[in-house]
Amino acid sequence: MLDHYLQAFATVLLPQNLLAMVLGSLWGLLAGALPGISTSMGVVLLLSFTYSLSPMTAFILLVGAYLGGITGGSITAILFGIPGEPSSVPTVIEGHALAKQGRATFALWVYLLCSIYGGLFSVVVMIVATPLIASFALKFGPAEYFALTVLGLSVVSGLSGGSMLKGFLSCFFGLFLATIGTDGITGEERYTFDTTILLGGINFVVAMVGLLAVSEILIEAEEPFKEYKGGVEYRGMLREFPPFSLFKSYLLTMIRSPIIGTIVGALPGAGATIAAFLSYGEAARTAKREPEKFGKGAVEGLMAAECANNASTGGSMTILLSLGIPGSNTTAMMIAAFMIHGMQPGPLLLSTRPDIVYGIFVSMLLTNLLLLGLTILAIRMFLELNRMPYSIFSAAIMILCVIGAYGLTNNMDDVYLMFGFSLIGYTMRKFDIPVAPCILALVLGDMAELSLRRALLISDGSPLILVGSPISIVLLSGALLSIVYPLFKKPKMLQGL
Amino acid sequence: MKKSEIIFSAVCIAFFGFMLFETFELLGQGRPGEVGSGLWPFMALAISTLLSILMLISNIRKYKAAGPGAQELTAEAIAAKRRARITVALSVVCFLTYIIVTPWIGFIIATLLYILVFALVLGERRRWVLAISPILMTAVIMGVFAKFITIPFPKGIGVFAEFSRLFY
Repeated sequence: MLDHYLQAFATVLLPQNLLAMVLGSLWGLLAGALPGISTSMGVVLLLSFTYSLSPMTAFILLVGAYLGGITGGSITAILFGIPGEPSSVPTVIEGHALAKQGRATFALWVYLLCSIYGGLFSVVVMIVATPLIASFALKFGPAEYFALTVLGLSVVSGLSGGSMLKGFLSCFFGLFLATIGTDGITGEERYTFDTTILLGGINFVVAMVGLLAVSEILIEAEEPFKEYKGGVEYRGMLREFPPFSLFKSYLLTMIRSPIIGTIVGALPGAGATIAAFLSYGEAARTAKREPEKFGKGAVEGLMAAECANNASTGGSMTILLSLGIPGSNTTAMMIAAFMIHGMQPGPLLLSTRPDIVYGIFVSMLLTNLLLLGLTILAIRMFLELNRMPYSIFSAAIMILCVIGAYGLTNNMDDVYLMFGFSLIGYTMRKFDIPVAPCILALVLGDMAELSLRRALLISDGSPLILVGSPISIVLLSGALLSIVYPLFKKPKMLQGL
Repeated sequence: MKKSEIIFSAVCIAFFGFMLFETFELLGQGRPGEVGSGLWPFMALAISTLLSILMLISNIRKYKAAGPGAQELTAEAIAAKRRARITVALSVVCFLTYIIVTPWIGFIIATLLYILVFALVLGERRRWVLAISPILMTAVIMGVFAKFITIPFPKGIGVFAEFSRLFY
């Protein structure tokens, strides 16, 4: 194992990989900081850059964008009161309140140090947990894999926003989309309507770019000249460094929040937003020192939210690498990156491509450390970039989307399909139908169908095989619980997110 | 609750219903003892149709409960909404034109024109932004993707192809 780590360090520290780490982190920070560009959109837009890169460099770039995005979301949250990411909403409440009191730099330091601490904590958990979970998952057969994909699809309950019905509609639409093209088992053409463009199926990168990125720009085009109002004065990071005693005085929060973040991140569909809110809520509930400050600039609230949202990254990556199911919207995009480079995330990845898995561990560790310095350097730059004409910025994103779709097979057909998906995505958003469940189902649909059919083939068509092992039962029960629980109990503060 | 949501639900029912109808041809396809090609899409589409029906019922109920006059907007709000719709429609047309003409006039010229026109559609009027940004951005994109990553972008035809060959 030590050999793997030494090899991974040697690979990650190669100049081209360090450059990828810096560029990915910067892009992630930018995507996270800019409202209108989410972390997942940032990762999707980067996919087109990874086609010609080596798999390790590609993942270092994407990991940088993922961690940078989650970290960057709080810059505009503190300085302008605008959350770059939904997970930064608690940071707006407490961080921006602190900034308005003239303590912007102090709030930025607290946010940054807690973010990095939360991120590093979850990486350590990931390094320990991934091999254990993966070795357990090697016992899985088709029925267990089917149960696992159902658990992955149960993410829908967490990604549905206000309406579960619309979330499930989006999910089943995605499952349908995944069936388009030539059937992998019988060779039968499904829903191609005798066209060649659909014969090979719908590439999920094409669908993702259209549904997520282009549709977002079209939504933003409705209100292209939004301005930041109520921004606080920022004078640089050289003052108001918080003393170590401050963190020591909130020791319980500093221990509890990254644990909440890592666990919630590992739950399918929960992700950084729910992690941040749960941790923030818990801090508010148990606050002994100055509970009246919550909502008006509570340092403890800021710490809790920031530790947790960054800690969710390690949790999400753990179940992605060990089980192959995404814990969040962004890690669903990561599955696409694995497939682009001819890999399938899951228990076998650790034995077939240990270089990639250990490389990801090491790159997450180093990226978190890098972000500490990079964010300080980047804050001023991003404040200037926020003043860049939105029209030009969105045109650049549209072109990146075209390149992302075209670069897959160097074929304009993919671009036309992407355009179709952008219209579908725009319509879905206009009618409050979340696009994330559709993308997730498109990614997992193929695996779910194949596992189900293989399982039924083994059992001569008897569906009892699906609940024939304790693992399947536990996984399916988990999926059921994850779907049913939010129907009965969803914290008010999470509704609509 | 708007009428458009009811119409949208009806369109969903029609779409998923049509696809479900198409699925009947697939049911039973496959070798003996094998689960055919149609089972999985049949399940997905049947549930989608059912969910669309539930969405329609829910929307009709909400519409009736809110009353037809509940969504009346001020003249200003209607004008703003219309402006937003026009901007989005023009953005879509602009993007569609861009991807259609790219194989004919080549990636460089199409991108240059697209950035300029899209910025205008979004309301950009500063001349220096309109003059500099398209050239600068196209140059960066070409440098990164055509030269560094070597993606073989469409070169166009005839004189456009000759022009594109000057750069990649």
